[in-house]
Amino acid sequence: MKKLVYSSIILLVAVIFWGALRSSRTNSVFDLDSFSELPVQVGGRIKPLDSVARNTLLILSGRQKVVTREGVTLRPIEWFLDLTMRPEVADAYPVFKIEFPDDLGLSGLAQKGQRYYSYNDLLPYSKELHRLNSEINTDPQKRSPYERQIAEINKGLMRYHRTMHSLHPGGGPDRLNRLADEYQSYLATVQSGMAELRKQQSGQDYDKALLKRFITFADDYLKLSQSALLRVVPPPAPVDPMEDWKNIGLELLDVMKGDPLSPYVTSYASLTMAYRSEDASSFNQTTQELHQRFVADFPSDIRRVHYERDFNALQPFYVSMQLYVLTFLIVCISWLRWPKELSRAAFWVLLLAFAIHTYGLLSRMYIQDRPPVTNLYSSAVFVGWGAVLLGTFIEKFFKNGIGAAMASIVGFCSLIVAHHLAMSGDTLEMMRAVLDSNFWLATHVIIITFGYSAMFLAGALAIFFVLVGVFGRRLNKKTARSLSAMVYGITAFGVLFSLVGTILGGIWADQSWGRFWGWDPKENGALMIVVMGAIYLHARWGGLCKERGLMSLAICGNIITAWSWFGTNLLSVGLHSYGFTDSGFLWLMAFCLSQLIFIGIALLDWRFWRSEFGKSNA
Amino acid sequence: MKVLLQFFSSLKLTVVLLGLSMVLIFFGTLDQVHYGIWHTQKLYFESLFVLWDYPDQAPLHDLLFWLYIPMPGGYLLGGLLLINLLAAHSTRFKLNWKKGGIFLVHFGLILLLVSEFLTDFLSVESQMPVDEGGRNNYSRAFRSNELVFIDRSHAEHDSVHAVPASWLKPGKEVNVPNTPLRIRTLAYYPNAEVGRATGDTPIQTMATRGAAVRMGIIATPQAETYAEGDINTATSFVEVYGPEGSLGIWLVSNVIDERFPPQMIESGDQAWEIALRFTRHYYPFEIELIDFTHDKYPGTEIPFNFSSEVMVYHQDSTKNQKALIYMNHPLRYEGLTFFQASFANQDRTSIFQVVRNPGWLLPYISVLLMGVGMCLQFGMHFMKFLNKRS
Repeated sequence: MKKLVYSSIILLVAVIFWGALRSSRTNSVFDLDSFSELPVQVGGRIKPLDSVARNTLLILSGRQKVVTREGVTLRPIEWFLDLTMRPEVADAYPVFKIEFPDDLGLSGLAQKGQRYYSYNDLLPYSKELHRLNSEINTDPQKRSPYERQIAEINKGLMRYHRTMHSLHPGGGPDRLNRLADEYQSYLATVQSGMAELRKQQSGQDYDKALLKRFITFADDYLKLSQSALLRVVPPPAPVDPMEDWKNIGLELLDVMKGDPLSPYVTSYASLTMAYRSEDASSFNQTTQELHQRFVADFPSDIRRVHYERDFNALQPFYVSMQLYVLTFLIVCISWLRWPKELSRAAFWVLLLAFAIHTYGLLSRMYIQDRPPVTNLYSSAVFVGWGAVLLGTFIEKFFKNGIGAAMASIVGFCSLIVAHHLAMSGDTLEMMRAVLDSNFWLATHVIIITFGYSAMFLAGALAIFFVLVGVFGRRLNKKTARSLSAMVYGITAFGVLFSLVGTILGGIWADQSWGRFWGWDPKENGALMIVVMGAIYLHARWGGLCKERGLMSLAICGNIITAWSWFGTNLLSVGLHSYGFTDSGFLWLMAFCLSQLIFIGIALLDWRFWRSEFGKSNA
Repeated sequence: MKVLLQFFSSLKLTVVLLGLSMVLIFFGTLDQVHYGIWHTQKLYFESLFVLWDYPDQAPLHDLLFWLYIPMPGGYLLGGLLLINLLAAHSTRFKLNWKKGGIFLVHFGLILLLVSEFLTDFLSVESQMPVDEGGRNNYSRAFRSNELVFIDRSHAEHDSVHAVPASWLKPGKEVNVPNTPLRIRTLAYYPNAEVGRATGDTPIQTMATRGAAVRMGIIATPQAETYAEGDINTATSFVEVYGPEGSLGIWLVSNVIDERFPPQMIESGDQAWEIALRFTRHYYPFEIELIDFTHDKYPGTEIPFNFSSEVMVYHQDSTKNQKALIYMNHPLRYEGLTFFQASFANQDRTSIFQVVRNPGWLLPYISVLLMGVGMCLQFGMHFMKFLNKRS
């Protein structure tokens, strides 16, 4: 029996890993792995095309895959290849997520049960969409959900368009099939064209046909330089890391200044042509050439770019999320059958999940070269990580499965939150100047966020206490006491970290703004956590509250922490509208309401408590 | 007496006060949406009582517009907490090693509360813009104003005679220090719209002299603004008296600044420029901006560094100093702290935040005490817990 239990758990874990690995594999004849590793400069750092493909899809579709109308699933980089090199095919892929297509008032667009629409679906309505977009409120904070949707679709179309033209000029199949010729004839025209232009300007006779051809090129590339989104052309070696990369259009234009055309531009043209003619061997060869050139020019960056692609492919947070669910299920079953074997197994699965979570966290640190918490997304990842860390300690001490169960729940929930926060695109963005201090990021921000972890874990334990005490039968005095000790210990930890974190924040504020304390929303939020903790501690030490009172206070801590973490951000987002229509606000409200319900349950008369602990108090 | 002491030292009071503090902080955060941080701070945290009303923009306003919640303000709660803490320590606590952690935390807290009071009363904030290659020896407040009379008759220096704007109460008469002049305020608007009159109707103005008459400028009182970064246009009508009697009524406003020709007052053979301007703090040193840098991440508009290279020239040249002021690295000099706050003029002007806060060191000490105390307290509890388990 023992063996069967263990082996079935190992099997489940293996299934999870296999699922993750499978989604990163492909059997294309094109060397997609190398292609997805080609560099691009976005948001101040060099990253692989793979990341751009993923983030663009996240913004447009809210997921990292494309499912075609025929039911074929494409990886982000496959979609990106089609988008940039076979746009006529990509235009039929449903990548625009429209939550409420019926509300747009565009007759004929909405298809029943369909939330994803292709460029071709939207094309007939582009004028109307553009018109609608010009009529909505100019202040993004004051837009209604309908207006937001309009704005989002228009922004999405723009992004789609600009990404499409990132590797070469736009145009029909004829043009894309002959890109190399086009560049060749442009290069041949530049010098003479410039000469004719000068002649025209100084009033001399000039070759009209030649000038016209040259000006057509120039106009076209000027437009391209304004529309091409990605900066894919690095400056020639030796490279200054602070130098701006160029987009294709700008690089083509600069040839007029006498600069040689970057080999990256011509290589992307060859790639496009090879892909279009399904010539895998020359596609792969050109990709390798591009790759080698990048390695030679950026020896210090290639490892990071390579690493980032691997990190993207493995999706460690997704894997650990699944493992957290598995942990929780194992613990639940352990309370019914095979307690010893299963709780041991749960502990090991939790450790595995934690290790993968840690790997993800460390990877992000390596890619960004920053401490782990730099924005709201990474704080969500870290909150979960911290809670699981504390939970494993609890589990190690108490060995009753409660620590593991609650840790896995908080870990899972915070990763879900992070997943939804990632929809805005790149989560590895650069820090604004005032935040640019690795020292403070590594101390103040980490400690404060760890404080959140502790408060949430304490809250989760308290909820567990209440639910098991009221609805279960098994909560006895001894378990109640040990749960109370857990909540106390974790809360004390939370208060300590929140206080120290807040203090460090004060010092940072004094260093950068000249005041230790400024009553700004984020500071107030942190202070509220500290005060909440102080209330809990004083109530406990003074004997003002017994177990369930303390548990209610700990659940209250969840509300305060959520407010401090998210609520204060919502305030500054919608400075005048409170952001009431924000989905973030609704979720926060829902969360607070659920916590209030738990507190309500906790305060039910002892008569309604079904557990031994409740009966003994009745 | 004993009952009173018992009440003030009770733990229940602590918990109630802490609970009220939390409510206060919460509403004091919410109301920042309306009033901005600065005004909310005055309303909630630097007050004895505050009344919260249901915000206009919030949902269900039609149903809940009558909802007002009175609550104790920051000074009252802070004061009571202070009393509570002191009373508790004078009655319940005995100093021993086991309670050492708690003592440190509480003592740090007392110090923190005191330093917060001190900061509210003593700290002064202002801004100093300096152009590249230029020098400046004063900073400007952005919320308080002063009425100044400037005597430019000396070749080497100007003498400035200032009256704080808070003294400009309608009907009140004030002698201008060190001059034969006396003023009577006819009107003072904390914020006003000041501009040229439009249309053909003859303008209604109290002014009889100066720019208002010459250029047809009128002032319409406005509600004060508290929004972050907005400026109140303080405006006043003042009648000036010399030894010979009334010299006329002038319109002065902090928007009528150096861009306009000066408004002159003459009495006898003396002449003064009159102006209402943001309060200036003059220093015995000049700051020269050698270079301002503003770097962005490659390929983006995201700034990653602002820095100002400055040279400080003191009247006492032994105190001259060179410094680089950048984010998170202010210059502390002569009891003042200079922070890189902003920039203007296509990156050619750097703006420093200048803070004088005599109590700036107190929070550092108090938080050190609290941090150490907490670690001690919880460390001991944790050790006890470990011992019990093993």
